[in-house]
Amino acid sequence: MKLLKASRKDPLLRDLRRVLPPDRVRVAPLERSIMGRDASIFEGGQAGPVCFPISTEEVQDCVDAARRHGRAVVPRGAGTGLAGGAVPLEEPVVVVTTKMNRLLSVDADQAVAWVQPGMINLDLSRALAPYGLHFAPDPSSQQVCSLGGNVGTNAGGPHCLALGVTSAHVLAVEVVLMSGEAVVLGDPDGWGPGLDLRGAYVGSEGMLGITTAIAVRLTPNPPAVQTLLLAFDSVDEAAQTVSAVIADGIVPAAIEMMDKNIIWAVENFVGAGFPLDAAAVVIVEVDGLPGGVAAEADRVAELALERGGRVRRAADDHERALIWKGRKSAFGAIAQIKPNYYLHDTVVPRTRLAEVMNQVYEIVEEHDLQVMNVFHAGDGNLHPLLLYDRREPGVMERVHAAGSAIIEASLAVGGVLSGEHGIGIEKRDFMPLMFSDADLDAQARLRRAFDPDEMANPGKVLPTGASCADVNTLGKVPEGVWG
Amino acid sequence: MTAKMSLGIDAEELASCVACGLCLPHCPTFRVTGEEWASPRGRINAMRQVQDQGAAIDQAFFSSMDSCVQCRGCEPACPSGVPFGSMMEATQAALARKRRGDWRRWGFRVLGRRRLLNLLSRVLAVAQRLRLVPSKRLGLPRIPFRQDRLRASGNDVWMFTGCVMDAWQRSTHAAVKRVVESAGVGVALSGPGAACCGALSLHAGLESHAHALAARTMEALAGSAPILVDSAGCGAVLKDYGKLVGTPEAEVFSQRVMDVHEWLATRPDLLPPAGEQGRDLTVAVHDPCHLRHVQRAHQPVAEVLARYATVVALDDDGLCCGAGGAYAAMQPELAASIRERKLEAIGRSGAEIVASANPGCTIHLANAGVTVRHPLEIVDEILDEKLDQASDDDR
Repeated sequence: MKLLKASRKDPLLRDLRRVLPPDRVRVAPLERSIMGRDASIFEGGQAGPVCFPISTEEVQDCVDAARRHGRAVVPRGAGTGLAGGAVPLEEPVVVVTTKMNRLLSVDADQAVAWVQPGMINLDLSRALAPYGLHFAPDPSSQQVCSLGGNVGTNAGGPHCLALGVTSAHVLAVEVVLMSGEAVVLGDPDGWGPGLDLRGAYVGSEGMLGITTAIAVRLTPNPPAVQTLLLAFDSVDEAAQTVSAVIADGIVPAAIEMMDKNIIWAVENFVGAGFPLDAAAVVIVEVDGLPGGVAAEADRVAELALERGGRVRRAADDHERALIWKGRKSAFGAIAQIKPNYYLHDTVVPRTRLAEVMNQVYEIVEEHDLQVMNVFHAGDGNLHPLLLYDRREPGVMERVHAAGSAIIEASLAVGGVLSGEHGIGIEKRDFMPLMFSDADLDAQARLRRAFDPDEMANPGKVLPTGASCADVNTLGKVPEGVWG
Repeated sequence: MTAKMSLGIDAEELASCVACGLCLPHCPTFRVTGEEWASPRGRINAMRQVQDQGAAIDQAFFSSMDSCVQCRGCEPACPSGVPFGSMMEATQAALARKRRGDWRRWGFRVLGRRRLLNLLSRVLAVAQRLRLVPSKRLGLPRIPFRQDRLRASGNDVWMFTGCVMDAWQRSTHAAVKRVVESAGVGVALSGPGAACCGALSLHAGLESHAHALAARTMEALAGSAPILVDSAGCGAVLKDYGKLVGTPEAEVFSQRVMDVHEWLATRPDLLPPAGEQGRDLTVAVHDPCHLRHVQRAHQPVAEVLARYATVVALDDDGLCCGAGGAYAAMQPELAASIRERKLEAIGRSGAEIVASANPGCTIHLANAGVTVRHPLEIVDEILDEKLDQASDDDR
């Protein structure tokens, strides 16, 4: 049994408290149990000792102690993950990086900054404001999510349409491997020789090691921005407009879509003037030099009008901020309707958007559930949110059945499992739908090249049986983890 | 200290958090600790474990709940409108029943007894001068030994004077009263009948005491005149009597309550015109949580001040300063860490003086060496200089 003894005599605890002050190693049942979940559907993960290191050396010490006692290690940032990536299984040592939240250095000329993993995404962009720079990936949770978590999930965000997701903005990472060794992958100059291990690391969901510092690429703030709010009487018209904009050769900074149900919940919170009578709204943001921005905004408006849309342009920064606040609060606004959500993250070809969305509506109706759609339309990244109240008997079966059907429908048109939230526990068992045994084995072998004993965040991403070796540390998701 | 019990939180309220985490950066204790148990999401999770799953109320649970400043900064940040304040008040009421030897149980009773409070304040003032009291550690201001009596000037509006603020900071009331009078109205004073709004008792979970104070306050402030409040914490609770007491009379009473700046901001024509003096003065406005997050009425402070001085906003999204009523005395370390962030924001603003419409914040910030005044004290001083100048011109 791994169950942590409450007593101070627990040898693992004794070792951890030798390297970290006692108030930064938490073991009270409550302090561990509230670490049992993140922002995903999963509840009831089981944390062992919860450690709050403040330096790379302390992370190494935590990993060393865990290794000596044969205990797995799970890294955690702000706990806003949507796929259960930070949910601890079987009482691992949980290493929380929130206290490692400093901006270490900024080289404005080279547009590179070194940051600690616990720094909040939006805090970084705010700190960079005096330089006229920002960090481009802007997940909806950017006001709270940590950069370490962004690296772990290779996070996206509305503004990744034109600029690429996190991997395109990470030049190097300092990683503590499960051997306790700290290594730097990649090169802050962007020209490191050899294999791109940085590329393999970004998006590895804590299964290769623990991020302790990140060299991020910084993006100049655009000289001009225009945000348009387009309203449509049907999802089809909205989806066609999205395709038409891209087909016209315009690459907007962001194109986001929200359907009727979510518009209501969001408007109720922000009061940004979202049209409550629309079947769907599309937020389009164009940026760049003032002349180009004006021309592109006019063209987007024209394309929307041709397809029956209504057009509103944000008059100033305040209005623009309000529209984005609405978009980025969508997931959190759900409890106005139901207390729980299961958020999906599939990607489908842009041209098949309307078709898949209609299928989603049908699937949900079949399973007697409610759905809201809010997503990155520009790159076909769907986010159907299934709403439910877990206190309702039998509802979980329906939620999971509908979820599977949505994933299958997305894959059937040539889509993928996850756009940006990661696989975590949530999509782990769907991986064989997308990857062959050979693919999965290759991924397992890559993982073991970094972490031979599979002690870093075990039980995530790779399904049981994916690996040829007999070192699977976890048979199945423990009871109670599924909501 | 372990026993299974319900916290008495409304089941629907408790179920209403989806755990998205968007509240975390708006929570002062999460901001300074980075630890989930010190965040709104973590606290709700802990409440659920106790109330829904029968987990024990242990030391960790007490720490998680008692570390909350009850600033309610999480509420406007929550897209689902989770009523965190109400859940925390229920939890504190449940915990208060379990606490043994909590000084607040008898200590806060003093607040409703004007003569006793004045007497103890004098004793405290003497002790301070004899250096017998660690004032800064206890979060106390320098308590005046004598204060001038306030006199009513009419009955157009009530001015709620409260407990500690009247005992320790009556000069602030005097300044506020002068500014209100300068708008051409007569001011009636709430007096000893309405001795205390009950906010501190409510936040400490002492519900029945808070109810008794509410009943007395409503009785003392009869009639239909608006009730103006110059303390954000008191105003928040007075506006909430409708829910707290739960009667139609209480609802009507709450609707008469206004923060004094709200009242002034809607009467710009009545306010004396601005002179030139204040223009040189740069004032940073610190939004008290119970004005910004609870009453959601912080804008009028800046509107009123901007007539008389150059106003700058702080760039910290209205994060709490850590004062929190008795919080600074109960949790001195966290309160100081939280204040540190506020001091940095004040430093970045470049302002020479800070305006705060809540006495607790004023004391807490002043104890860190910040020059801080009630917004209407600043206005009063500017108007006063102007009057001086006008009388100079007459000569």
